[in-house]
Amino acid sequence: MVEREAHLKRLMIGGLNGDAAAWRALLTELRGPLTVFFRQRMGGREADVEDLIQETLIAVHAKRATYDPALPFTAWAYAVARHKMIDAMRRQARRPTSPLEDAGEPAADHTVEDGAMRRDLARVLSLLPARQRRLIEDVRIGGFSMAEAAARNGLTEGAAKVSVHRGLKALMARMGAGS
Amino acid sequence: MKTDDLIEALALGLEPARPARPAPLWLALAFLVAAAAVLATLGPRGDLGEAVTGANFWLKATYTAALSAAALWWLARLGRPGASARRPALALAAVVMVAAAAGAVELLRLPAELRLDDLLGWSWRECSLNILGSALIAAPMVWLSARRLAPTRPAMSGAALGAVSGGLAATAYGLHCPEATAAFVAVWYTLGVAAAAALGAAVGRVALRW
Repeated sequence: MVEREAHLKRLMIGGLNGDAAAWRALLTELRGPLTVFFRQRMGGREADVEDLIQETLIAVHAKRATYDPALPFTAWAYAVARHKMIDAMRRQARRPTSPLEDAGEPAADHTVEDGAMRRDLARVLSLLPARQRRLIEDVRIGGFSMAEAAARNGLTEGAAKVSVHRGLKALMARMGAGS
Repeated sequence: MKTDDLIEALALGLEPARPARPAPLWLALAFLVAAAAVLATLGPRGDLGEAVTGANFWLKATYTAALSAAALWWLARLGRPGASARRPALALAAVVMVAAAAGAVELLRLPAELRLDDLLGWSWRECSLNILGSALIAAPMVWLSARRLAPTRPAMSGAALGAVSGGLAATAYGLHCPEATAAFVAVWYTLGVAAAAALGAAVGRVALRW
């Protein structure tokens, strides 16, 4: 247990210094413990467990600068995981549900796959800087014209075009490298 | 997306990360903007030039600066997942206790008929509200200073953020307010900072999500 903490901490410090291999190793090794952690608490909803793992890995990545090497790494990582779980539960509690009578016909163009895809999309987009992400969301999902999206985000139309193009290219490059 | 792909994507663009802490530049700006707002809307105290040579002005500034510093430590610890925030919370409480004790001793030493004047001064009605108002002006910059942190207790972190804003605002308010009794400062200044912390807790509950 103590050895494991020391090992993970070494990887974490490597990641903080920009060592991509250490970072990949750390995120991969966190999957096991996170799976156990969320399974114990989510009552066997496997899809939720995998979602939470991914959200936690993204949070570990995005907030890695808040780790203080003077403190235990596992305490930090579990605190992030617990935070993501509470956040997800809060969101679920607020998600509107419609009564069964209103369901009538199943909505054909909204399938389970669709929801999963949407989640994936949000997750991929979260890798981009905030303004670029909003631009792409506005143009590709929100249905705004390029000029409208540019105005919403305080850019000229030309700059917005370039930003969207670069953002999509960066995403392609990352996803391409992953598969 | 597969988790493997996600990990690959996250590791691919990895850059070194500087440790996250409240950004001093934003905090300095928060204080300067609060001071500018106090001076522009309320004006400096009439005897400011004389007051800065005396001890009372600086004692008051020391108290509000100590409040800001303890609150800032609290905010920084709350922004680290898994770190205990007990010691800074105790430090903040200790700072308030010292001021309360000084105020109490001052009141007890005075003849009974002077105590109420000592406590209420001539501006007790507006003091806390003015501090709260200035804190609202400073708060956005204090929030920006803390953006890289990761608070796992949003309401408490909001209270810390409000207390920092309140402490900086109270320090700035000292440029306007000529009240110099320990009892006045311990009650009305503290109340203003506490109001900012309470408001911060309410806002933080929804605003400090990540």
